[in-house]
Amino acid sequence: MATTPRSGGSGSGAAQRPNGTSQNKSCQFKLVLLGESAVGKSSLVLRFVKGQFHEYQESTIGAAFLTQTICIEDTVVKFEIWDTAGQERYHSLAPMYYRGAQAAIVVYDIQNQDSFQRAKTWVKELHKQASPNIVIALAGNKADLSNIRVVEFDEAKQYAEENGLLFMETSAKTGMNVNDIFLAIAKKLPKNDNNQGSVIKPNGNEPTQTTNNCCK
Amino acid sequence: MEPTAESKFSDVDEYGFKRGEKFDYKDYGKFMDSYLKTLTRRRIKWESIIRENPELILNTKLKRYIRKGIPGPYRTDVWMKISGAEAAQKKNPNLYRSLLNIDHFIKEISDSISIDLPRTFPDNIHFDSKKERLFNILCAYAHHNRDVGYCQGLNYIAGLLLIVTDDEEKSFWLLKHIVENIVPQYHSHNMASLLRDLAVFRELVIKRVPAVNRRVEDLGLPYAVIASKWFICIFAEVLPVETVLRIWDCVFAEGYKIVFRAALALFITHKNLILECEDIAALANLFRDTMIQGSIVTDCHSFIDSMFSIRLKRSELESLRKVAVLNEHMSNK
Repeated sequence: MATTPRSGGSGSGAAQRPNGTSQNKSCQFKLVLLGESAVGKSSLVLRFVKGQFHEYQESTIGAAFLTQTICIEDTVVKFEIWDTAGQERYHSLAPMYYRGAQAAIVVYDIQNQDSFQRAKTWVKELHKQASPNIVIALAGNKADLSNIRVVEFDEAKQYAEENGLLFMETSAKTGMNVNDIFLAIAKKLPKNDNNQGSVIKPNGNEPTQTTNNCCK
Repeated sequence: MEPTAESKFSDVDEYGFKRGEKFDYKDYGKFMDSYLKTLTRRRIKWESIIRENPELILNTKLKRYIRKGIPGPYRTDVWMKISGAEAAQKKNPNLYRSLLNIDHFIKEISDSISIDLPRTFPDNIHFDSKKERLFNILCAYAHHNRDVGYCQGLNYIAGLLLIVTDDEEKSFWLLKHIVENIVPQYHSHNMASLLRDLAVFRELVIKRVPAVNRRVEDLGLPYAVIASKWFICIFAEVLPVETVLRIWDCVFAEGYKIVFRAALALFITHKNLILECEDIAALANLFRDTMIQGSIVTDCHSFIDSMFSIRLKRSELESLRKVAVLNEHMSNK
């Protein structure tokens, strides 16, 4: 019963750490994880944020919020990560999280064809409802089990290309491509003042200019 | 902190849950010294109240006793009686068995339950042996109530019921009572009442601790992220187990109002810590980690006291619910 602490601080597992020098530019981005239940959304976040993996990750009820900071070139990129529940009935809560998001990772399980179809539905919904400039990455997770895969790499890659998505197969278990997919997103996100645009607070309806703006 | 040689507490609690790495054995020791005495005293008092009121008809005295905690050995019986679950079971004594005898479980339902079994209380050392029974309870319920089916979160409620009662059928009836009578429409396919009650909860925070609401909204953490799991799981897998059971004692006796009391008490007792949060990450971390391990909730006795020191009337909740439904309706137009 909530007795396992997810160790305190954040960031021990990140690929690259901010070097702390003051001349760095810094940006903050809102990123949402979407996908079918049990494809590994929370595990990807846990691997990225804390460098950990739990074989039996508890299912996410509602949503969770975490942050992680990475550094690319001279820019410190802080991700505000919104990890959502996968079960279909939690869908009604999802717009609250992807509204105003600058990036999304849509996750499926390479052993599960249904989860790939569900991922496509999420991509469609994001294209229709999310910010027009949202950077979407498709993650085929559980790549450590690629010998029992049912979703072919080429099929997913082709789908991603046709829809303008970043694509990687990942494994939260081994860590394969986990940091890389976040890095790839960070690289693709616009990192100047003009591109961050307005952020809608998830619990309010009024768009507010971000005060905490990017790359000052 | 590991239990030290002189620590009298194991790193697993009496329900089989492993204590967290940051568990403060010293603090807990201090609390338990007095709590154990209280428990013994309560147990003697309960022996007499059960002699006096064997059918456990809910009166002021019994309600007061329940708020002070039902002793473990009596808990299952008292929950079954005061909730009405036992009466419902007597009316339909074959229901559970007949549900288990359904020829084919719907694959979609049984699959999603099976996926969640290993990830229900993976840190509980006794739970492995209970998983088959948990599957039965959840599958039977999902087929009994097709409007709800299987909602993630019910695994934690049913799992904890099973740990407490160690009885599959009683857990089924208590689960049915929670889902249908305590928090109806939280777990159904559109979760309509959950969204309504999250809005109600926000209104209550605005009324009782406006500064806290301002801080939470300024930092931009939605109430749905903070409190969905509190409401969906009625705090199972959220707060320390003893605190959850004390809350459930009151929930079975007094109904849904207790869920709001507990949620409000969490905000009120953590007011200063919330106001001290400088960014959304700190706030999220407070609710996810700091709060659940702090002495405020581990000391379940004073936490329950703080729940009942809040003024809260059913009529207020009901009128806030009406407003929330209206607002929802308007925003959908």
